[in-house]
Amino acid sequence: MFSRWNWVACAFYLVLSICSPDASSGLVQSCGHIIPESPVLALGSNFTALCILNESCLDFGNIYASQIIWKIKNRLVPKEQYREINRTVSSVTFNDTSSLATPLTCNILADGQIEQNIYGITVTVGLAPEKPKNLSCIVHQESRFTYAMTCTWNPGRHTFLDTQFRLRYRWPEQIFPDCIPKDVNNSCTIDDSQFFVNTEIWVEATNALGKAVSDPLVVDPIDIVKPLPPQNVSVTSGLLPTVLQLVWENWISDAVMTLKFNIRYRIVGDTNWMEVPPEDTASPRTSFSIQGLRPYTEYVFSIRCMKEDGVGYWSDWSEEKTGITIEDQPSKGPPIWRIIDTSQSPACWTVHLIWKALKPYEANGVILQYELTVRDKSSLSSPVKKYNVTSTNYTLQLREGTYEVTLIARNSVGPSPPSVLLIPASNSKAPVKNLRTLPKHDKLWVGWTAPNNYVLKYVIEWCLMSSSSDCIIEWQIVLGDVQGIDLKGIKPFKCYLITVYPLYADGQGSGQSVKAYLKQDLVTVDPSKTEYTLSSLTSDTLYTVRMMASTDNGSRTGPDFTFTTQKFGKGEIEAIVVPVCLAFLLIVLLGVLFCFNKRDLIKKHIWPIVPDPSKSNIAQWSPQVPAKHNISSKDQMYPEGSFTDVSVVEIEADDKKSFSEQDLKPFDLLKKEKSTSEGHSSGIGGSSCMSSPRQSVSDSDEGETTQNTSSTVQYSTVVLNGYRDQTPVQVFSRSESTQPLLDSEERSEDHAGGADSTPQRQQYFRQNGGQDETNTDRPCFERTKQITHANEGDLVGFVQLQISGQSSQPLGLGMEKNTQEAAVSNVLQTCTEGQTVRAETVEENPLSVDEMPKSYLPQTVRQGGYMPQ
Amino acid sequence: SPTGDSWGIFTFLCAALCNLPALPALNCSEELGAGQSIQQTYDLTRYLEHQLRTLAGTYLNYLGPPFNEPDFNPPRLVRAEPRVPSATVDLDLWRGLTDNARLAANYRAYSRLLCYLRVLDGQVGTAELRHRLAHFCASLQGLVLSIGGVMSSLGYPLPAGPAAPPAGPPGAPAAPNDFLKKMDDFWLLKELQTWLWRSAKDFNRLKKKVPPAVVTLRLEARGF
Repeated sequence: MFSRWNWVACAFYLVLSICSPDASSGLVQSCGHIIPESPVLALGSNFTALCILNESCLDFGNIYASQIIWKIKNRLVPKEQYREINRTVSSVTFNDTSSLATPLTCNILADGQIEQNIYGITVTVGLAPEKPKNLSCIVHQESRFTYAMTCTWNPGRHTFLDTQFRLRYRWPEQIFPDCIPKDVNNSCTIDDSQFFVNTEIWVEATNALGKAVSDPLVVDPIDIVKPLPPQNVSVTSGLLPTVLQLVWENWISDAVMTLKFNIRYRIVGDTNWMEVPPEDTASPRTSFSIQGLRPYTEYVFSIRCMKEDGVGYWSDWSEEKTGITIEDQPSKGPPIWRIIDTSQSPACWTVHLIWKALKPYEANGVILQYELTVRDKSSLSSPVKKYNVTSTNYTLQLREGTYEVTLIARNSVGPSPPSVLLIPASNSKAPVKNLRTLPKHDKLWVGWTAPNNYVLKYVIEWCLMSSSSDCIIEWQIVLGDVQGIDLKGIKPFKCYLITVYPLYADGQGSGQSVKAYLKQDLVTVDPSKTEYTLSSLTSDTLYTVRMMASTDNGSRTGPDFTFTTQKFGKGEIEAIVVPVCLAFLLIVLLGVLFCFNKRDLIKKHIWPIVPDPSKSNIAQWSPQVPAKHNISSKDQMYPEGSFTDVSVVEIEADDKKSFSEQDLKPFDLLKKEKSTSEGHSSGIGGSSCMSSPRQSVSDSDEGETTQNTSSTVQYSTVVLNGYRDQTPVQVFSRSESTQPLLDSEERSEDHAGGADSTPQRQQYFRQNGGQDETNTDRPCFERTKQITHANEGDLVGFVQLQISGQSSQPLGLGMEKNTQEAAVSNVLQTCTEGQTVRAETVEENPLSVDEMPKSYLPQTVRQGGYMPQ
Repeated sequence: SPTGDSWGIFTFLCAALCNLPALPALNCSEELGAGQSIQQTYDLTRYLEHQLRTLAGTYLNYLGPPFNEPDFNPPRLVRAEPRVPSATVDLDLWRGLTDNARLAANYRAYSRLLCYLRVLDGQVGTAELRHRLAHFCASLQGLVLSIGGVMSSLGYPLPAGPAAPPAGPPGAPAAPNDFLKKMDDFWLLKELQTWLWRSAKDFNRLKKKVPPAVVTLRLEARGF
């Protein structure tokens, strides 16, 4: 209870402290504080903190230093580190500051249990800066007049504290403003550097624990300049084909410093740089002529510079510039060889002269042409023949004999030295001896022993022996002192025929040949076996097998046996053919199945049933179509029967203009008669049902009623040419309107179980063709017959057929009623699978003319249903 | 004992040999320093000439006509107190002076010229010209220090008077009007040009008094 009173007192005191104006240390005066406040400590050093309690708190709270506990964050500091100095002061000592953390708090255990915080400090542990080392500076030239000095140094270990580095520099009696690094601690750039005065430069590192100064660097900034590379480098070709002149501009005036240069160059496409001897370019200059270049070769140049005395830094290499040397005449003649074909007759040669294009460094330019000279040595009288050739071969027809062929390559500057080839009548001279080959990695070495006489050159021919094609000869000429060459591009495991011809000054030695492989395998077989299978051979390749029998005393080889492997291995063809056949069969089978499933569809597309006009029995019913009592009116109107030939009815629901005058005329005439039946006919019919010849198209296309029938749609029209007994010719035209059509088609599908409209149409035709036995819609048809019967004997010249889908136009019903009320005389209504086709004759109904809607309104007709009549 | 003596002599010789390389360097250091600083001062003078050549053109253009006209050659105004030190001392008279006197005259002239130049720097409108003027001023300051260094390395006392440039502009009365002020600027640049040209000759002559061998030695001593 006592302690509680104490706390109340404390709280009261706190309130007082807050309210009292003389509370100097802020709003809240705590019961104690720690010394030192927010220390920065060197890592690894020892540290002692004191917690000093206020006397006032002692009185109020009955608290003493002995009750103080120290904490680092939430971790209790062991009591061994505490020391009670007096009643109000407790100290804590840390031998190593690395165990410290923030905050370090001084707390008191009130009542021995309740922990109360008195004060807390933040402790920062770090290191004093190390002396910056390795200070070095470089002056970068930035433009013609601006030079910036960048100094770098090693800042030393991490201090864990905010450490400021500053680069300082001075002249003997002048100190410049410090350079303070931005974002880094190891370099700084002085924007304006002064030359020719020794400058003392040093770095100072400072943090809360101390300051360290680097060794000073005394330097004249002119001695550490890295200049800009020469600019505007250009290369010009001189008069000589081996010289190019390089011209450039320097960024630095001689008054600032004189320069020396390095020039490097390489052939375009080559990666190795060559360098002009540095001593040649060790003096100030703005141009240099590079000599000893190859003619007609493109070179890349670049150049760099530095202070002439070599003190400082090289600039970067300048941008690369290319230049091309001018042409020179070819340095040597092209190597030439011949292939003599004597297959026609031994006395008549076909000589294929072949030569090799000069290499770029021999051609020294663009070879414009080759000049070939052929001299017959056997007869002095025969003229010298000259040929100008642009390709690298030429074929001559020569008689057997000795010829001297001279070849010159010519470029724009001049001719090459001549290459001479002697073609003797016979290769009678001594051949090379001891021809041999040796595979060396991917090259095949060919060596020989020179004959006794002096040889000018050797020609080495080689070709890949293959059973399938002729030997394509490759060749090479080497000088007479060479006795072996490496053949490149030789394929392994292939047999090559290699022939060497020695060329003498006065003739040619006979060729010595050898067959060789770049790679061959050796297999040792058990003597007891007389059979061995060679594996891992490549297909379609000529192989040679040589057997060698060996005893301890030696070995002897048998004759060579060559064979060619097949293109396809055993079973390989079968493996290809069988799956292909199976796959084909499968596809055929699937195709047949598909066709079978979709036979109806296919049938529809390929063999649609075309109604046969010859089977048409229109004659039976056509005259019945008009109502009997119409005859009189008809006759009155068209006494001469001039109505017969109406051939076209083009019906547009809303556009009466589409009717030709000719078409409209009869309609106009008939209008009054048919007005009643228009109600019936309008919009009747299935969309896709084509009319039979017998049926007439609804005739309600009069202009007067057009305005009333904004929604009428024409579906199709059939125009009959025939009248009465004439065989009618029908024209179907499919309407472009879709709405009711869609509807009808959907319905028809429902009805017919998804069958297409084509069969329906066919059925319809059949029905109308009078084939009573047709299975569907018998009632409909019967009715048709009935009507037909009722109208028998009537003659109506004009028949219009309208086919309409089972549209759901509300008008339909009303019109039907209207029709019922009217004296319907002749209606032919045919339903086929939900489609209603109504053929009507024209009927006179003056009362309803104005009221009647346009006749092509789609109407609601139930599937299989009929218009009430 | 004789062996002990001989050991002693050997030790002495060794020590002498070891110290030998250090000795000439020590002896020559004074003269080497002078040679180096003369060369450096000469280079700096040439560098300042080069800078002034471009700077003067720009600055005269900034002043506008007639100052930027190539044949503009006004008579020098006679003022009670000359604003800038004149380099129009007779050449023979100048040659007759001692090295010390010539160096001292250089030192005084550049110190004074620098003061006026600093005033100039503060008045210029364009940043680019100001930057170049500042750079030139700093270089000229370096020249004053360099001449001081040469003098001290040759053992001459620094001249009395305005050794360190005074903080503000000298006590000379300001030009009464803008044209006369521009005229002062014109003459300042003209004087600078003449002084630099003359100083380059001086330092070149002074340089030649230092034997070339010593210069080579200096380079070696510096480690090149």
